[in-house]
Amino acid sequence: MNAMTENKGSTLVAKPDQVVIPPTVAMKGEDVSVFYGAKQALFGVNLEIERNRVTSLIGPSGCGKSTFLRSLNRMNDTIDICRVTGRITLDGEDIYDKNLDVVELRARVGMVFQKPNPFPKSIFENVAYGPKIHGMVSTKAETEEIVVSSLRKAGLFEEVKDRLNEPGTGLSGGQQQRLCIARAIATKPEVLLMDEPCSALDPIATAIIEELIDELRENFTIVIVTHSMQQAARVSQKTAFFHLGKLIEEGVTEDIFTNPVNKQTQDYIMGRIG
Amino acid sequence: MTDATLPTQVQTAAINRARLRNKRNAADFRLRAYGITAISIAVGLLGILLFTLVLGGYSAFVQTHIRVDFPISAEYVDPADPAEGNWRAVVSDGVGALLPSDSPAQARQIAQILTNNTQFFVRNAVVADPSVIGGTLTLDIPAADIFDQLNKGNIDRNTPEANRRVTDQQIEWFDSLQEQGRVSTPFNWGLFFNADSRFPELAGLSGAITGSFYALLVCFLISFPVGIAAATYLEEFAPKNRWTDLIEVNINNLAAVPSIVFGLLGLAVFLQIFGLPRSAPLVGGLVLALMTLPTIIIVTRNALKAVPPSIREAAYGMGASPQQVILHHVLPLSLPGILTGTIIGLAQALGETAPLLLIGMNAFITSPPGGVLEASTALPTQIYIWADSPERGFVSRTSAGILVLMGFLLLMNAVAIFLRQRLERRW
Ligand SMILES: Nc1ncnc2c1ncn2[C@@H]1O[C@H](COP(=O)(O)OP(=O)(O)OP(=O)(O)O)[C@@H](O)[C@H]1O
Ligand SMILES: [Mg+2]
Repeated sequence: MNAMTENKGSTLVAKPDQVVIPPTVAMKGEDVSVFYGAKQALFGVNLEIERNRVTSLIGPSGCGKSTFLRSLNRMNDTIDICRVTGRITLDGEDIYDKNLDVVELRARVGMVFQKPNPFPKSIFENVAYGPKIHGMVSTKAETEEIVVSSLRKAGLFEEVKDRLNEPGTGLSGGQQQRLCIARAIATKPEVLLMDEPCSALDPIATAIIEELIDELRENFTIVIVTHSMQQAARVSQKTAFFHLGKLIEEGVTEDIFTNPVNKQTQDYIMGRIG
Repeated sequence: MTDATLPTQVQTAAINRARLRNKRNAADFRLRAYGITAISIAVGLLGILLFTLVLGGYSAFVQTHIRVDFPISAEYVDPADPAEGNWRAVVSDGVGALLPSDSPAQARQIAQILTNNTQFFVRNAVVADPSVIGGTLTLDIPAADIFDQLNKGNIDRNTPEANRRVTDQQIEWFDSLQEQGRVSTPFNWGLFFNADSRFPELAGLSGAITGSFYALLVCFLISFPVGIAAATYLEEFAPKNRWTDLIEVNINNLAAVPSIVFGLLGLAVFLQIFGLPRSAPLVGGLVLALMTLPTIIIVTRNALKAVPPSIREAAYGMGASPQQVILHHVLPLSLPGILTGTIIGLAQALGETAPLLLIGMNAFITSPPGGVLEASTALPTQIYIWADSPERGFVSRTSAGILVLMGFLLLMNAVAIFLRQRLERRW
């Protein structure tokens, strides 16, 4: 237990820029409840997602992290029995508004999934797909530019520049996940949602992606679900702890890990629940 | 426990393990033996089937021809209008030169060695090349069925004349022709290029093949798009409720409905209510489409189900609309499965007989259909007609027809396998 706190202490040194820019709110959940049929999975969650910050969602399995994440870009719509109440806003706009276009929302709020899921198409087509369907590019040169810059931002370009026409499914797991990140950021979303993006990866690939998340923060707002306390501590500035569908505690990552207010949070980060 | 009991326990355990292992191995062996027996039976039956078909049908792939020299005199045929000649006279001149005859009656009998339609062969050849008028035209004319059978050894010369379908005189004539070197037995192209005929030596499958082609085309054009659209809707859009459950159950049941029922439906609806022409490949195709539709819906749904949900999630997560998700990702990925299923469904439709009989595609039609509305037969119904015909020549043609049908089925299945491998190899 001591070892763990020590470890945390070393990774939690605040970077100077973290405190300089006052945070603005990118997304906001107000009293969000989610039901799967009759079963309630989330209970009145209030959470602010700050711009150009990494927010990590932690909590034991089945506590509703993915559910909350998926309600941020309405991926829950694809589940027939799923129902969301409360209010979620993106730049002050209610994303569950009848007049809001889901397609546009998902272009603005991108998603990276737990298991890398590139399309069974070429690396190039994988990245070009989003810009194409959202009409962001009209010429081949534009497409190429966006593909290359996205791959570069995802730190994958050097590795794949000679085989852009080969299938994306032929890459290694870590490369595939970075390809999925490149694909997601190609549409220039404001917010990037990541559901356990490293759970299928080895430590080296994980380290690469964590570094990447830190860089992406400059341009994107990131929400990440993770089961690794260390990862949450390393990459995020803000942490929210969920338990049994309720948001128990949220705050600056450092505070949550060093000085949790709630007993349950304390127990969880000490490894007593979950 | 004492020391003495321990080894006994170990021993019993070892014996138990050995017994279990033997039992397991025996069960494994039995299972494998059942499998091998089953496969042997299946292969054996298939072998017997093919063997009988080839044995019965191979002789229909060749046809006895008699070489005849027809003097084409300008007296009978007008070079200005060769189509309107006195072909009967031309033929009897040619036949008269073949063998000596004592009487006009005998001459007529000799003429019957050749097929009944000899004059049309001569006319067609002259019309195609009028320069032979005034000279001699040498043609290989198909022999009439009984002589064809005699040549192929299907008629036993040792049976008493009274029990034989050819007389001693006829045998003598035939042998004499053979001595003159006029008898040949080339590959029977007529089997593929002739339409049906009352005379076995002229009967071919071209009408049936064309009819089947048109019917399958109609069947494909209807069942493929409708099937895919229905399956896509059910699989991707339809809410899961009692209605869609009901539809699903009904589709599964439809796939098991006996084909003759679809024939009755076609008869009642397409012919009697819509007044479409009888025996037309269009109606045949419609009926076959009804039959194939459930199959295509089921295979398409399975192919769609087999597309990993992660691909759908990825596409939706990118902000693709449902239409884009389906057209860009799901359908292309499931296409190999859909195509294979469709071709197998079409192959089934190709061999379907009962519904076609009910809508009159077993009529006697002597020319291939020029379109989907013209009366026609189909391969299986042609086989049915031939199987029902009394002439010896139709017996072997029935088997040959079945072999041709099976050839087409084999071809379609090969295409299915090829397509699947080709499309799946891409990634
Ligand atoms: N599609 C669904 N249908 C019904 N119930 C669901 C569905 N998805 C999730 N749930 C339920 O909602 C609750 C929250 O699930 P969720 O996936 O959000 O958990 P999680 O915190 O992401 O867990 P994990 O860490 O294991 O991924 C769980 O009780 C789960 O059983
Ligand atoms: Mg989850």
